[in-house]
Amino acid sequence: MTAQAGTGGDSALIKWLRPGRGALVLPPLLFVGVVLALPVAFITLYSVGLRTNIPGVPTAFSLTSWNDFLVGGGSAFRGRFVYSMEIALFVSVLTTIAAYPLAYFLSFVARRRRYALLLLLLAPFFTSYLLRVIAWQIILNNNGVVNSLLWTLHLRQHGNAISWLIYSNFSVALVLFYTWIPFVSLPIFVVLENMDHRLQEAAADLGASRLTTFWRVTFPLSLPGVIAGFVFVLIPTTGEFITPLLVGGPNNQLFGNSIQAFFGDTPNWNYGSVLAIALVAVVIVLTLVFGRFLQTDLRTETRPGQ
Amino acid sequence: MRLTSRFGAAGLAIYFWAFVVFLFAPLAVLLIFSVNKSPTPTLPLSGFSTKWFHDAFGNGTLTGALLRSIEIAVVAAVLATALGIMASLGLLVLRGRAAALALTVLLLPLVVPYICLAVGLLILVQQVGAKPSLVAVVLGHCVIVLPFAILVIMPRLRSLDPAMNEAAEDLGASPFAALRLITLPLLAPALVSSGIICFVTSFDEFAIASFLAPSGQPTYPVFLYASARTPALLPEVIAVGALIIAGSLLLVLLAEGGRRWAERRLVGELAAAAPGLPELDDEQPPATVAVVNS
Repeated sequence: MTAQAGTGGDSALIKWLRPGRGALVLPPLLFVGVVLALPVAFITLYSVGLRTNIPGVPTAFSLTSWNDFLVGGGSAFRGRFVYSMEIALFVSVLTTIAAYPLAYFLSFVARRRRYALLLLLLAPFFTSYLLRVIAWQIILNNNGVVNSLLWTLHLRQHGNAISWLIYSNFSVALVLFYTWIPFVSLPIFVVLENMDHRLQEAAADLGASRLTTFWRVTFPLSLPGVIAGFVFVLIPTTGEFITPLLVGGPNNQLFGNSIQAFFGDTPNWNYGSVLAIALVAVVIVLTLVFGRFLQTDLRTETRPGQ
Repeated sequence: MRLTSRFGAAGLAIYFWAFVVFLFAPLAVLLIFSVNKSPTPTLPLSGFSTKWFHDAFGNGTLTGALLRSIEIAVVAAVLATALGIMASLGLLVLRGRAAALALTVLLLPLVVPYICLAVGLLILVQQVGAKPSLVAVVLGHCVIVLPFAILVIMPRLRSLDPAMNEAAEDLGASPFAALRLITLPLLAPALVSSGIICFVTSFDEFAIASFLAPSGQPTYPVFLYASARTPALLPEVIAVGALIIAGSLLLVLLAEGGRRWAERRLVGELAAAAPGLPELDDEQPPATVAVVNS
């Protein structure tokens, strides 16, 4: 066995792994099947009435809940769904636009210190999400940091708080923007790093100005990263429910909050399951549509000459 | 010609540093109010006090929740990293559609919203006739961090030089011994990164824990959420929050520093043992980048 190890075409690592060792993926696959796929399957059953948590209600296939959510006249939850998607879309666009210059700075201006500065940008992302939302609650509160600072500086009458600062669309969008911006700058940075910089040199050699080089060469080439960043925010914000709980008012609750309520305070698992499956469907569609933009690899792609 | 004019570069630098301030400001707010005497976090500041730290650590519910979350996160991180090693070893030899399909399934937890997984697990627990429990929380956390483990471990495993295992087997090592003595030690930096990322994610997870942790056994985020709405408890929450934020920032720095140190040492040892081996790229992107761009 030891004698042939070095002689085969395949590497030894592959060779000793080959016979049946692909089966090592089975336990993790089984785990994901039981802990992820099975729950989603059960939600689906609940959404069509084949299971129920309401005592006395017979279980039979029924699309009543689906019907009410999708086409029912004036379904409150369809409105909530649309509102959530609007907020998610708005935050994603804003975050992506604001993140681009950060990535550009790291890649093209901060050349040598770029990884250290990238880490600085990402560090807050690795502290507790809930704590950061609580911090914003303290900042935006009616007697919070912003309002009390204005009072202390006599810029505003004491006790007269800015009404839209918290429990508003503004506060929900601001906290979501704050949460995701470090994360969005990352895929854009990766794409800018992997870019063949000779193209930009060529553009400059051919007489293009810096602005023209950016709009005609750099920006179009960075679009995969921009789209990836956009999707990186869009997917998690569609299912967001913590931020509206802490800094949103009753009118700013998102779709995730509706799902939460149906499995919590006002239980109706069947209707809640419809909403949950609708959310999963949206996310899966987004992933399928944008999936190919989500694969950019900093390490394997070559970056010839600079 | 440089891509940015001097003026543009300065503008971008200002923009960048303004964002750094924006990003760290809320964290600074927590740190400041953690040592503020007044029980309500509002300006002007009312003097220095460490009272809230004493109160916080005297609060059994809070420390209990903290310990509970640490235990859950450790178990979830170890379990996910072990499953991540298995998945990565398996994916290394699979080819074609089987590999693509397996990877897709293993990365699915990245896209399923936590709230949906949480209610799904609640249903599952009820279906099998069990009650919400910390075991269910651990399993839920393990499945959401498994993709992170795989995305950290797999690229590292792919980058290993097969000649090392070849040499081990030439010298008579069994496949298992080669795995234990060669592959796993070489994977160590990735395993540490994976463990840390999984731990941090689980420690901070709210959705799944809020549905599956029994009411008398809140995890730290569940306790945090409940107390954030109780003004009397807020100062203690801020105090512990400040410690956690300082701790996690330190952890990020240590993890990154440690990884670079380990990789440099490894390169040094290899270079000493076998002159002429190609050197690793000295400036590696942070492990966090590897997670995102895999």
